[in-house]
Amino acid sequence: MEQRNSDALTTRSTGRSGKTISRLLPGLILLFFVTVVSAAGAPSRTVYVAGSGNTALDQHLTKLLQQRVGENTAVLPIAENELSSIKDAPVVAVGPSAFSKARQANRSAAILGMLVEEDLVSRFAERSPGQISAVYYNVPLLRQALTGKVILPHATKVSILATPTSAGLYEAVLDQLSGYGMQGRVFLVESSDDLIPTLIRALGYGDFLLAASDDAIYNPRTIKHILLTAYRRNRIVIGPSQAYVKAGSLASSYAPFPAMASLAADYINAYFNDGTLPPPAYPEQYRVEVNDQVARSLNIPLPDREEIAGLVNEKLAETGGPDNE
Amino acid sequence: MKVSTRIRPAAATITSVKPFTAAVALATVLPVAGYAQSDSPDFSADLLALDGNNSEIPEVLTTTRLRQSKLKVPGSTTILTGDMLRNLGVQNLVEAFRLVPGMVVGDRGSTNPVTSYHGTSQYEQRRLQVQIDGRTAYRISLADVDWIAMPVALENIERIEISRGPNSAAYGINAFLGSINIITRSPQDTAGAEAYASAGSRGHLRTFTSVGDSNLGGSWRLSYEKRKSNGYDSQVEGGEEIPFHDGHDVNNFNFDSIIRLDDNHSVDVRAGVLEGVNEEDLNKSGKLGATTDPDIQMNDYYLQLRFDGATSDTHFYHVQASYQNQRRRQRWSVSIPATTINALLPPGSPAFPTNQGPFIADLNEDSEEARQEFELQDTLIFNDDLKLVSGLGYRKDTYISETFFNGRGNNYQSRVFANLEYSPQRWVTFNFGGNWEKTTTTDEGYFSPRAATNLIFNDNHALRFVFSRAVRTPDAFEQSPDWSYRPSNVQAPFEALEGYRIVIEDLLDPSTSTYGKELEEEWITSREISYFGQFHLDRALLSVEIRYFNDHFRDMISGIINEEEWYIDNNVAIDQEGAELEASLDFSGTMLRASYGYLEQDEWYTGDPSALPAKQQEKAVDLMGRLSARNSGSVAWIQDWPLELTSSLAYYWTNEVRESRFERADFRLARRVDLPDYSYVLALTIQHYLNPKPWMSPDNRIEDQNQYFVEAGVRF
Repeated sequence: MEQRNSDALTTRSTGRSGKTISRLLPGLILLFFVTVVSAAGAPSRTVYVAGSGNTALDQHLTKLLQQRVGENTAVLPIAENELSSIKDAPVVAVGPSAFSKARQANRSAAILGMLVEEDLVSRFAERSPGQISAVYYNVPLLRQALTGKVILPHATKVSILATPTSAGLYEAVLDQLSGYGMQGRVFLVESSDDLIPTLIRALGYGDFLLAASDDAIYNPRTIKHILLTAYRRNRIVIGPSQAYVKAGSLASSYAPFPAMASLAADYINAYFNDGTLPPPAYPEQYRVEVNDQVARSLNIPLPDREEIAGLVNEKLAETGGPDNE
Repeated sequence: MKVSTRIRPAAATITSVKPFTAAVALATVLPVAGYAQSDSPDFSADLLALDGNNSEIPEVLTTTRLRQSKLKVPGSTTILTGDMLRNLGVQNLVEAFRLVPGMVVGDRGSTNPVTSYHGTSQYEQRRLQVQIDGRTAYRISLADVDWIAMPVALENIERIEISRGPNSAAYGINAFLGSINIITRSPQDTAGAEAYASAGSRGHLRTFTSVGDSNLGGSWRLSYEKRKSNGYDSQVEGGEEIPFHDGHDVNNFNFDSIIRLDDNHSVDVRAGVLEGVNEEDLNKSGKLGATTDPDIQMNDYYLQLRFDGATSDTHFYHVQASYQNQRRRQRWSVSIPATTINALLPPGSPAFPTNQGPFIADLNEDSEEARQEFELQDTLIFNDDLKLVSGLGYRKDTYISETFFNGRGNNYQSRVFANLEYSPQRWVTFNFGGNWEKTTTTDEGYFSPRAATNLIFNDNHALRFVFSRAVRTPDAFEQSPDWSYRPSNVQAPFEALEGYRIVIEDLLDPSTSTYGKELEEEWITSREISYFGQFHLDRALLSVEIRYFNDHFRDMISGIINEEEWYIDNNVAIDQEGAELEASLDFSGTMLRASYGYLEQDEWYTGDPSALPAKQQEKAVDLMGRLSARNSGSVAWIQDWPLELTSSLAYYWTNEVRESRFERADFRLARRVDLPDYSYVLALTIQHYLNPKPWMSPDNRIEDQNQYFVEAGVRF
């Protein structure tokens, strides 16, 4: 932030110098030297960060990015109204809102989404292809399913709730599950009134409920009822994110921020090297969050978090590694 | 079929918990850093409030009214889950009890189902407490359990808990031999619509439909069940096989709802209406020269309200009130020789002509029984080691019957009960419980205590030592009969007898009659040593429960009640002992289950030797063992297969009751398909009677040893 202000100040000061050059010459000379000296130590590349609005979150991500892209790349915040003026610099958009605004404000800029989910990025890619990429925030469903499998080794059936519009997203994971001794089934929630009846059928089928990042189904308004119904039927819920684990979901894999920042830094470096962002991808490293209180209540002894994550990685590695996700 | 082979961690001791309304916040109360990875900032730390009482060790509610693990419960309890019953193809509720060690299931009279634990029953079962969701369900004043009119559908059953052994310490005087608690599925778990039908041999037809909804504010379910059967194929009358008029056709409506006031308070509202006909065969059930079948028209209804509350995680209570009404309309025509009628007339009365045909009229055994019940129960969890449940109850039983009581009457019962669970050490738990009750049936008060010590090993095994005493008081009809028949629609030349009261007492053999004699309570003193254990095998879970019991019954009321003989009295004593086994082996996709009961009874007459001839004394003793089987058991296997198939195989045997043996193998194959929009199930059940001879009664005849049933169900 400090560097960018310095640049702006330099530009404006140069404009003024034409009108009052004689009176301000000594000062201009001094400023010229300050600017030159400053520019000589400044980063040669700039990455802009379109924030989520959560200051602490944005600062945390910016700091992690800065640490990974190196000193010769400036990671600078950018306001929404300045997005349209960006040229030849990538924009890291934090969160779906920032990603959407950045894309709409500037169709030519290269935009790297963070904390965005595959579904959103895919929709944008279809509607307005261009220089967009992302480090996906949602966890691959196969990884989540294997998290459940590690916790409940006997589990063979997995239930997934979906809306008619999201059902197609789960076809891939349904195919993949058979390779891990499981089978999955999607249960369609046609409307909000349909949620609990469909959930009851889903709980009757599956050994556990695999919760995907589907806001139409899993949201603060519905999650309590879903979890209560599931646990009354003695079924656990896996996923969709850390926040839901805090609310009462038994466990969820998640990508730690440093892992996401590292992948984002790799993409930024790739951009500066060859002018394009690599295709969107998931981070390679995941951890597992568990709710110990729920586990105790359901009397499910949980392995150590690291052990769960390690066992999930092992299972994935047996069938081609994380790329198989 | 779910199974876990994990060992419970030491920290996860089973804690007694509050009822479902009580809130145990499961959400991790963690400070959320400003940059915590959260995409749903609306979540609060305590968003999820949940009853934290699930446990790998099976838990029971029934025995003491505390939710206890089988390690700490003071007695042996069988749990039959609704899913298991449905998977086994159980076609009607009473058949489920064949899976319970020591229980006998059969049919009496014109196919009126009866089940008993450890016999000690004549025909009507009057020594078991049966409850549905905490509401007393046995008949009110004519003590019996009417399984045909039981207002609960199989599809609505969550589980049935059978507390084997006297349980009066928790439920009062009718829980003499044990208690059956039928727990229905929460309407929260049945939201949506469901339709089901099964049809099969001997006119079996059962349909079930249910609709309901659930949200955070509450839930409800309205269900309708029809159950119909033609009964047995034939009966033997005069050495010939003739058709048996013994079916039933019942319509049962139930409404269940839960209104959540907040996380700690809720109200349950339940109501139901049942109507139908229970066919009674003229030859089997006809009385006093019956010429038509004395079918029973049934009209029952109930209303139940329950308020659950919790003041904290460790203190909760409920208040429950219920009202139920049972009407029975049983009428038939009779034809009685004029000479017989003349003999009934008071001395000096002019005789009716004997050459103008028999006395033809209608008689009835209409009755109406009502029960008002109130209960307050309070549970205090002082800590994991000390828990107390206590409460009080009040009941008013009303009976109306011109035939049995010559009008109406009431009985009142008041009681207080408590059970303290104390675990001074991790390896030992004591239970002390008791119920004090006063009833106007005998105008006396009774205390039924229970004390138990459970020694617990490795958190998976328990050795229990249980002592209990229980009482049963005579029912209103046994104690205060005023039995008579008033003919109606009397045909000429007997019109003068329209409404005339034919008093049964006048017909009884005066040399043996105890009609009107005041009866005392029956007593049972029971001792139990039982073991419960779970073995966590590599990929399976083995559960074993073994019960040894030694019971002493005193002052048992036995004898005959009919319109010719009435000699019931506190005149039989029984000593019995035996052993029971219940075991299950669960692993993924497979469930194996076995039960076995062995019973030895020694009965003798204790009444006044001069009161009854030797033959009647023997009869009184014999009646106490009429439903006692020395050996009985079951084996069941439920298996999941590919293609969404589930099979089950069950074998039941009872050896023997009244010189008959029951032996049947059931096979069921079902396919349950879960589609995105709906689920459906199709099933075929074959019941094969290995022993073709009639069970329990020579009239219970089935022509085809193979009985077939098909089922279809859909859920949206």
